[in-house]
Amino acid sequence: MKRYFRELSVLFAFLAILLLLAFRAPEFFQPSQLLSMLCDAVPVLIAACGMTLVIVCRQIDISIGSQFALCSVFAGLTASSGLPMPVVAFVAILCGAAMGAFNGVLVAGLGIPSIVVTLATMVTWREALRWWREGEFVSNLPENFQWFGLSQQVGQITIIGIAILLFLFLAFALKHLSAGRFVYAVGSDKEAARLAGIHPQKVTFAVFVLMGALTGLAALLTAVRFPDVDPKAGQGLELKAIAAAVVGGVAISGGRGYLWGVAAGVLLLSSIAPALVFLHLQPQWEKALQGLIILLAVAADGWRAVRKKD
Amino acid sequence: MTNHSPTDWKAFFLRFETLLIAVLLAEIIIFSRTAENFVTTGNGLEIIRLSVELGLLALVMTPIILTGGIDLSVGSLLGLCAISFGKLWRDAGLPPVLAAILTLLIGAAAGGLNALLITRLKLPPLIVTLGSFSLFRGLAEAITRGVDNFTGFPPSFLFLGQGYFFGVIPAQLPILVVAAIGFWLLVHRTTFGRSFRAIGFSPEGTRYAGIPVDHRVGLVYVLSGVMAALAALIYVARVGQAKADAGTGYELLAITAVVLGGTSIFGGIGTVHGTLLGLAVLAVLKNGLTLSDMPSELAGILTGVLLLSVLAGEALAQSISRRRKQSPPTPTISTSPKPQT
Amino acid sequence: MQAPPLLQLKGITKSFQAVRALRGVSFDLHGGEVHALLGENGAGKSTLIKVITGAHQPDGGSIEIEGKAIPRIDPASARAMGIAAIYQQPALFPDLTVTENVALGLETPSTTSRIRWAERRTRAQELLKRVGADIDPDTEVRKLSMPEQQLVEIARSLGAGARILIMDEPTASLTQNEVHLLYAVVRDLRTQGVGVIYISHRMEEIFALADRVTVLRDGESIATQDTKGMDESTLIKLMVGREVSSLYPPSETNPAGVTLSVRGLGCNASGVHDVNLDLRAGEIVGFAGIVGAGRTELARVLFGITPADTGTISLDGKGASIQSPREAVEHGIGYVPEDRRRHGVILEMPIATNMTMAIHPTFFPWSWLRFGAERDLANGYIRDLGVKTPSGDVPGGALSGGNQQKVSLARWLATRPKVLILDEPTQGVDVGAKSEIHKIIRRLTNEGLAVMMISSDLAEVLGMSDRIAVMHGGTIVKEFTGTDANPHDVMAAALGQQGSSHENVPASE
Repeated sequence: MKRYFRELSVLFAFLAILLLLAFRAPEFFQPSQLLSMLCDAVPVLIAACGMTLVIVCRQIDISIGSQFALCSVFAGLTASSGLPMPVVAFVAILCGAAMGAFNGVLVAGLGIPSIVVTLATMVTWREALRWWREGEFVSNLPENFQWFGLSQQVGQITIIGIAILLFLFLAFALKHLSAGRFVYAVGSDKEAARLAGIHPQKVTFAVFVLMGALTGLAALLTAVRFPDVDPKAGQGLELKAIAAAVVGGVAISGGRGYLWGVAAGVLLLSSIAPALVFLHLQPQWEKALQGLIILLAVAADGWRAVRKKD
Repeated sequence: MTNHSPTDWKAFFLRFETLLIAVLLAEIIIFSRTAENFVTTGNGLEIIRLSVELGLLALVMTPIILTGGIDLSVGSLLGLCAISFGKLWRDAGLPPVLAAILTLLIGAAAGGLNALLITRLKLPPLIVTLGSFSLFRGLAEAITRGVDNFTGFPPSFLFLGQGYFFGVIPAQLPILVVAAIGFWLLVHRTTFGRSFRAIGFSPEGTRYAGIPVDHRVGLVYVLSGVMAALAALIYVARVGQAKADAGTGYELLAITAVVLGGTSIFGGIGTVHGTLLGLAVLAVLKNGLTLSDMPSELAGILTGVLLLSVLAGEALAQSISRRRKQSPPTPTISTSPKPQT
Repeated sequence: MQAPPLLQLKGITKSFQAVRALRGVSFDLHGGEVHALLGENGAGKSTLIKVITGAHQPDGGSIEIEGKAIPRIDPASARAMGIAAIYQQPALFPDLTVTENVALGLETPSTTSRIRWAERRTRAQELLKRVGADIDPDTEVRKLSMPEQQLVEIARSLGAGARILIMDEPTASLTQNEVHLLYAVVRDLRTQGVGVIYISHRMEEIFALADRVTVLRDGESIATQDTKGMDESTLIKLMVGREVSSLYPPSETNPAGVTLSVRGLGCNASGVHDVNLDLRAGEIVGFAGIVGAGRTELARVLFGITPADTGTISLDGKGASIQSPREAVEHGIGYVPEDRRRHGVILEMPIATNMTMAIHPTFFPWSWLRFGAERDLANGYIRDLGVKTPSGDVPGGALSGGNQQKVSLARWLATRPKVLILDEPTQGVDVGAKSEIHKIIRRLTNEGLAVMMISSDLAEVLGMSDRIAVMHGGTIVKEFTGTDANPHDVMAAALGQQGSSHENVPASE
């Protein structure tokens, strides 16, 4: 399976970490530990799925961390005003989709490079939220907000279940629905896509809207885990999502990548922090290791490509 | 642009830079009304003093973006270099001068890592520097275990960031001036600047002209590392302490200044004086808001809005003129002609 | 054929800024016919195709399909009406598999409909079989060779149920066997009532396949005739619009010593092998061959873009190792590339900047730009080569093709080269500029330059060269001196048909 070399090696790296933990820190393998690790990975997985679409479409979105924070606060405020949970979920997702649409209009409609657009919206949303909330947590949340009013364990399983279902659906859609193939087509060759009767602008816009909506969902699924909503939540989410996508084999030049590789990337990167804790190493190494994994992954790709040419 | 710029762009950039100057003047007029101590020499110099680190990063970011690249790792590298300097001085017991020189070398080596991955392995700068963004900050955090904090530097070193010549001129001002002149000359008056632009427009075309593209691209990233290290030294001297979170978010501010200054993110087009203007707009905005007792968050919001409106305006103007002129011909040269009989 | 024609174009015009690419083209196509479109480079064939497929909007004229006027065509509606095009450069998605590419070429269903991959895969297999391609449908397209990609594209158009199929030089990179297979496919389509617009420079293909032929010249349709009863020379006359005569400046050189000598040169990555060549000062060696014969690849090896891994290069008798364009320049080799918009000129930069680009180290001591000296140098070349431009400050992209070519040439003349490699120096250049460029080349040669001239324009090769080298399959298969060359022999050698001294290796791709 040379074609999936990259995806498989990431998966093996993750399994290697699990194996190491099994020998050195078997106490890691408790249901509560595993559930908590997976719950931490949920927002990254959902955001990374959206980011995969964005990158496959040959774009980038670095504003999702700020979007995430705004969506959580909106979700929290809606919930504390007493509206039912489905409305809360709707608000969070709609809020994300709206911010995604704003990026989409500027990128697809006006043709401004996505890195600049999302850099500007990242700063704008973040500072606007800070100005508005002044860092205040949203508290006084109703009973049925945290863990959807379920017990912690059932809540955790629900969150993970939602994420897995969503992931499976997206993986299916990317491969088996025409819309999914359009994204690859536009990212692979915009002009060829146009000649094949696809509208690259519409596809690009839709991808940004979907990215926003997924960010909103990720925000909701994170917010329900805590008694209060932290307006600083989501900091650095964009980097984690991009890192997971890139490590999972998504080519930054567009048109290439599999969602299941990205899932492996999410698992690998999410396992670093708990692994450091359980192996009694300094937790401060997490960021450095994350950077090292990104560089190693892309360097391996580059190395193979350069060697093939010679 | 230099006097060799094509005329139609010259007109555009004249307008663009005029626009920036207009924004800057508007800021000054508004803040002179809302803040008492705004229009003073002291405050003017203070604005510059506070923006030297960012200025150095924005200056070096200009040639990087001109080549069509980007360096997201400068802020993190600033943090790593600050920590390295602290470590070399306090724990290794080196004199500040030696520690500073070694810090600059560390910066160059870190930039060299980016350069190597980008030129040798042909990897996209965005991803390489995203990785090193994480790596450099992570190393800084790991070295300090997230808590260590270097303070108590000797006054002779702190002078670099806190001292004044003749009681008024901040000690770091000459460094910024020299760097600004140096980068202006490099970009606008040497063949290096020429090749950066050419690479930004067409890396392949530049290679076909016999210009060593990899060498030039590598150079800007190494330079970027050195400037990040220099900025780190000034930062530590100004704040009086070295922490792992030094320079967080600086990469985005530097990119904002450069793009606001009229440099195209696709490469090729842009000026150093534009970058300095963009930097001034950002710095004056922040300072004026603070002195006017307005929320500091407004600076961020206004920066984002300004950046978007400038770019959206440019994009709209372009699409209108394109519609008027008809679409340009797609290259009609076939790449696979046949012999004719 | 009494029904209204499948496709009818009347008086189509299209301008790009100042250039009038089409100035009133009329064309019709019936179901079940193969209609060839013929014309020199730049005659407007590509633009016409793009109008039919909706990639360009015409400025004037009318388009009718089956007698119904179509006010506006865009790529999506063109597809819906059964118009499909196969371009010279396959418009495939390199990152997707063959099946996926074929599927995307099929009807574009609503975005939410499910793609049945198993079905699509079988369909792709059938279609591939129909065009006789032995390709695994699960391969990524980027891994296929050019001819394979072309076959995939034909398969894709067939799958899309095309009624009007445009083929733009479909045989450009196919081997003889593949060409015959393609003939069969085209004939098969014709019997199924598909209208085929067939563009090719190969006369034998036009006579073998086409029912009618339309000749385009300078953006106008000159004539439409049945191919029966036509002969080649009439067609060529119609295309060129003039008698091909002594357009070329005469050679008046006595080649001196060998400047460039190459022995056993090869580069695995680009398919060049066993090249032996001597290039003397004061002579033009013309390089003929079909696309993929390795001529541009050889130039790229000599210029250090894809450095050689076997063999030796020596200049003026001294061995030289050329690992990069920089080193080639230092050894006195210049290369005016084929793709001038991508490689020859930086379109966004001023002409003067472009002209000094290859002489940075020598012309600008200490890397310091000397604007005055640069302007003088540029003005000198603008005058000398007759570049039509108001000044040296104009960006290269604003010039016409011929003038861009002169700028590209000036860049290399400024290096004072010993050896100049010209790759398709007059492709896409109008007739006037073409003969000017020829005169310049001849003048430089008379002054002692050694010129290697790659050209697909056989008349140009025959007219300009002191010697002719014919390449096939990555190596030189035959050499002619200027006097003993005739078009037929050169073409036969280029096609690898003659019993030449070397074995006929099929195109290495």
